Amino acid sequence: MTTFVFYLFAALAVGSAVMVITRKNAMHSVLYLAFTVLSVAGVFFTLQAEYLGAIQILVYGGGIVVLYIFVIIIVNLEEVVPERRKLFPKLFIFAMPALLALQVVNVLFMNRPTAPPGTERSLEFEALAEMLFTTYALPFEVASVLLLAVLVGAVLIARRRLSRGSD
Amino acid sequence: MVPINAVFALGILLFFLGLFGVLFRKNLIVMLMSLELLLNGANVLLAGLGSHLRSPRGAIFALFVILMAVAEAAVGFALVLSYFRQKRTYDVDELNELKG
Repeated sequence: MTTFVFYLFAALAVGSAVMVITRKNAMHSVLYLAFTVLSVAGVFFTLQAEYLGAIQILVYGGGIVVLYIFVIIIVNLEEVVPERRKLFPKLFIFAMPALLALQVVNVLFMNRPTAPPGTERSLEFEALAEMLFTTYALPFEVASVLLLAVLVGAVLIARRRLSRGSD
Repeated sequence: MVPINAVFALGILLFFLGLFGVLFRKNLIVMLMSLELLLNGANVLLAGLGSHLRSPRGAIFALFVILMAVAEAAVGFALVLSYFRQKRTYDVDELNELKG
């Protein structure tokens, strides 16, 4: 079963990765990139790297893809696809949140989920956290310094020069 | 248990798709996206090997790769925006000021 799910997500990831590098419109590419990233998160879950999958969804799906969309909107405002929706996309927009809400209601009220026996403590997480904060504590701190430098550097590079006037 | 050869195939395929994107696309933003694909391929390999060898090191290294990817994306976008402000284009063929 896990292998089947792995192949499903792998096929999705590879297919949408091909779409990322072949689409002409950068906005389409970024949507396929989001698809690829979420499929790779699914691959991580099937590889029993749950922490990595969660980080992938949070950082890539939530952060980097939105950053890409903002930059594309800033850089080529005139090439963004106009707001023009046919019947099926409209149905999709309304049906998808409705289905998700139904699912949430189902989980919350109909059948209360119970943890299967023997999975109260995940030893994988403990081993990962222990190794990350002992053996790899120095790279962890260096990475935090790197992120601080990136924060300052990105603001410095991307800010507008005041002497440049209107822009 | 997922066969490790399939994980290798997926990771290498994603890596080379990203490499092709970086080499053959002319749009700076799509090139940055292909870099993300490339790093994702490396992450799949690391996570697959970590679960195959039953070691948390794979997940830890992949975590650091994700950190690098975030840093690269942020600085890359700052450079793209700064370049676009000056040149009004993001085609790499126009990036030839440093040519001798």
